[in-house]
Amino acid sequence: MKNNELLKDRIGIVSGGTRGIGRAIVKELVAAGAKIAFTYVKSDAEAKKLLQEIAAAGSEALSFKGDVRDYDTCRDFVEQVKAYFGGLDFLVNNAGITRDKAFMTMEKEDWKDVIDVNLTGCFNMARSCIVTFLKQKEGNIVNISSISGISGIARQVNYSASKAGIIGLTRALAQEVAPYNIRVNCIAPGFIETDMLGILKEELKDKFRRAVPLGRFGNPQDIAKTVLFLLSEQSNYITGQVIKVDGGLHTSN
Amino acid sequence: MAPSIKDEILEIVATVIEKEAGDISLDAHLVQEVGADSMMALEILAALEKKYHIVVPEERLKEMTTVNKIIQMVETARKRG
Repeated sequence: MKNNELLKDRIGIVSGGTRGIGRAIVKELVAAGAKIAFTYVKSDAEAKKLLQEIAAAGSEALSFKGDVRDYDTCRDFVEQVKAYFGGLDFLVNNAGITRDKAFMTMEKEDWKDVIDVNLTGCFNMARSCIVTFLKQKEGNIVNISSISGISGIARQVNYSASKAGIIGLTRALAQEVAPYNIRVNCIAPGFIETDMLGILKEELKDKFRRAVPLGRFGNPQDIAKTVLFLLSEQSNYITGQVIKVDGGLHTSN
Repeated sequence: MAPSIKDEILEIVATVIEKEAGDISLDAHLVQEVGADSMMALEILAALEKKYHIVVPEERLKEMTTVNKIIQMVETARKRG
């Protein structure tokens, strides 16, 4: 099967779709034939540009300005997507933020914001989609976690906790809904060239880069291609897994 | 004579719960007395939506406690069209 037919006419949602990894995911899935609705919070200009790029390529997408930390917003969004495209086949929980700080200076808002968006946002979106998936006895969820959630990264106590939470959510939900032909998997990106990495000092970036066996940082497409794999029939027997996409940085659990 | 909506719904419930239709009393609590669970309720809902071409909001699931209440719910949904 050609890559541009892997998700032919499938309908899906990507949270946090305008920037970084999310943007690459949206473009990859659209290129694979999917109809995508994506959420964003602030980036109006980027959202508009992305919709234009997709339209120019002869495909269709839908944007929705809204915050995944609000449950009712997620419910509304999912209903709108179903009404607009006439169904729903998969969900990619990608929306995420960082508030990196030394733990002794981390305020409770830094903790709450990151947990609310990264982890509760996953719950809100998955919970809003799951009844549809259960009823049709078909569905697929891919959550974007992080290496930070596996091994922990200093100054990211909040982020590491949220991303570890996503791994637990993935494993538990996968077991619960597998009898209904719904797969739930999770990707743990390593160091990926995005705005999130851009805030690091050059010195530190060099140090991190040298630590990657493949000798380079990943790019957002590396993650997007793995999302496509997990959403496609190519991965039909894979569920409840955490796939590390990190250039070999972590080779054990 | 075509089967009544009551018989049709009872048949759907019985099939999902894997019991004989004759053994399910119309006012028995499906979870507490008949042995259904939340996923069975969802399967019943999905089957009803398909059969009667209705859409029932997820929130109504918790009201589907007895066959009689399900019948009522379907009839309301059909009137709404």
